[in-house]
Amino acid sequence: MLKIKDLHARIDGKDILKGLSLEISAGEVHAIMGPNGAGKSTLAQVLAGREGYEIVSGSVEFCGRDLLALAPEERAREGVFLAFQYPVEIPGVNNVYLLKAALNAIRKHRGEDELDAYAFMKIIREKMQLMQMDASFLNRGVNEGFSGGEKKRNEILQMAVLEPKLALLDETDSGLDIDAMKVVADGVNSLRSPERAIIMVTHYQRLLDHIVPDVVHVLADGRIVKSGDRSLALELEAHGYEWLQQAVGT
Amino acid sequence: MNAMLESLREHWRDQAAALPGDTARRERALEAFLAEGLPTTAEEDWKYTSLAHLEQARLTLPGPVTLARAMAAVERHGVPDLEGPRLVFVNGQLIPPACRLEGRVPGLTIESLAQVLGEHDADEALDRVVDLDRYRLARLNTALFQDGARVRATKGVITDAPIYLLFLTLGDAEAMQLVQPRVLIETAEGASVTVIEHHCGEGEAAVINAVTEIVAQPGSRVTHYRIQEHADTHAQVASLNARLDRDAALVCHNIDLGGAVVRNDVHVRLIAPGADVELNGLYFTRGTSHVDNHTRVDHLAPHTSSREDYRGVLAGRSRAVFNGKVLVAEDAQKIEAHQSNNNLLLSHECEIDTKPELEIYADDVKCSHGATVGQLDATALFYLRSRGLDEDTARGLLTFAFAEEVIARLGIAPLAERLSSTVIGHLPDSDRLRAFT
Ligand SMILES: Nc1ncnc2c1ncn2[C@@H]1O[C@H](COP(=O)(O)OP(=O)(O)O)[C@@H](O)[C@H]1O
Ligand SMILES: [Mg+2]
Repeated sequence: MLKIKDLHARIDGKDILKGLSLEISAGEVHAIMGPNGAGKSTLAQVLAGREGYEIVSGSVEFCGRDLLALAPEERAREGVFLAFQYPVEIPGVNNVYLLKAALNAIRKHRGEDELDAYAFMKIIREKMQLMQMDASFLNRGVNEGFSGGEKKRNEILQMAVLEPKLALLDETDSGLDIDAMKVVADGVNSLRSPERAIIMVTHYQRLLDHIVPDVVHVLADGRIVKSGDRSLALELEAHGYEWLQQAVGT
Repeated sequence: MNAMLESLREHWRDQAAALPGDTARRERALEAFLAEGLPTTAEEDWKYTSLAHLEQARLTLPGPVTLARAMAAVERHGVPDLEGPRLVFVNGQLIPPACRLEGRVPGLTIESLAQVLGEHDADEALDRVVDLDRYRLARLNTALFQDGARVRATKGVITDAPIYLLFLTLGDAEAMQLVQPRVLIETAEGASVTVIEHHCGEGEAAVINAVTEIVAQPGSRVTHYRIQEHADTHAQVASLNARLDRDAALVCHNIDLGGAVVRNDVHVRLIAPGADVELNGLYFTRGTSHVDNHTRVDHLAPHTSSREDYRGVLAGRSRAVFNGKVLVAEDAQKIEAHQSNNNLLLSHECEIDTKPELEIYADDVKCSHGATVGQLDATALFYLRSRGLDEDTARGLLTFAFAEEVIARLGIAPLAERLSSTVIGHLPDSDRLRAFT
């Protein structure tokens, strides 16, 4: 589904991604771990189409298309979803209206009819229940005054409503207590499907107890330096990133 | 003497006898105004806003409008669904069939000034708060205003329903009209009132010169709205002058969505401890419009507080000016004054001049101010686009949201809805944005 080849990206003249390659197929869940500042969020943002990054070289193919040629909204409509590490507060833009506009934009792109209010609310109520979110969240401004955990839940709610092909979760676990983490993990697990790929960026392996990945990658200094199965995450947890840097000789 | 001043003198000669109230006081005000003339850009306070185009305009005091025409205009411009009392003025004259004063609250008096001037204390009640040396155009209002509203609440009277004052200006091709709304609000100890001044209009060029005075006795509370939706042919000058006694509170909402040349002055004096004022403002300028907001809060006593948040959205080749002055007198210790002015520029041809001015003579004070001029937040824009919204919609939505934060504070649903709808209508792609409200 997604093929990243030798991607080099920089911002403000600083090289961040330095030859990153990664492939993920439909139905798979990959975890990307790595030290702070390694470039994990940069990768997620570049894939979602954030402006300001200069793509120096390399390519990204998504479902056979050149992903980097698309505007952020086109990527979203093609099925890419980024759950932000720091979800943005947008007072004055109503949460439920954003969900509706987003869903309808994507449906329209797929050639489906826009949903009427009743059908839309039915979906929303179901997904809110899944995320254990109170209905009062709907009529607040997007993320306005939400706690850290509520913001993360809201990101997964959006993902559950939009049903992307490729979900990029950037540190969705950080700042969550154990109960909230379970809710988020249940939400993500409910979206696992043979048609969908999920990339989870995380700092800690504890999320992987709840969402078991097929592949674990270690991203350091702008590159994938090691890939393996789940046991890689456990090793990292036990020995830290320094162990890894010695192990791969960087 | 220029053509405008000459025309005013002629009107005085012809019509002074017909104007309500104390003629001597009106004449003093007129002479003082004529001697000084209009403010010019040579004066620091008027540096950015020129009224020079009015100097050669012959102004006319408007005559009566037919009832049918007045009622049709009220229908077009008034805010529907507002509960509570209302007074409606078209071209400066009261339109009784459009007013609603039934179901009176004991202790609350809402009167037409033309009907009460000359009786009791009504004449002396005017010009008590306005600083006529500073706001010279207020003198012109005092000299020639035709009608207006007086709202009084006696001790402890608390009213919930907003009092709606609609001032409509219908511009005329034959003569440039001078329409001068006048409002006086007085709250006795512990009283509370809410007053909406809605200034709007249509038609050919006209000049609107409004004066509001608010006198709030100890522990009383006034919530005041000045909603300005004039035609893009209209020039409007307005001053809002308030004096707040001990523990009195004033909340002012100043919304400017229309007008060709607009100048608003707000002057609030906090004269005793506990007095508190909140100034909430929004201006949306488009085309070649020019909107200038000058606010001034005088902290004249210790333990007084003020908060001010003005926001501007500028489009086209429009221009806006914000000047927020805070004065803290020598003995006014332990005061708090916070001010912010944020502006969004939607085009490269618009222009904003924003300036906070602090003049502080006390040493134990908490003051802050900040001004920003900018474009939309790039991260928020990306966030919306990453959810599938196209760029134009995302931009429109964020612009609307920026203005909506001020509108959301209005607290009167029919009014807020009406203004939200107007703001959306001014944005590109309004049809798509309406789905979000
Ligand atoms: N706008 C920017 N300008 C310069 N450097 C940046 C910018 N954004 C991120 N960086 C740098 O890029 C590196 C990678 O950041 P990031 O992708 O957020 O790392 P991670 O998510 O792995 O912690 C960091 O060193 C960070 O300081
Ligand atoms: Mg990060």
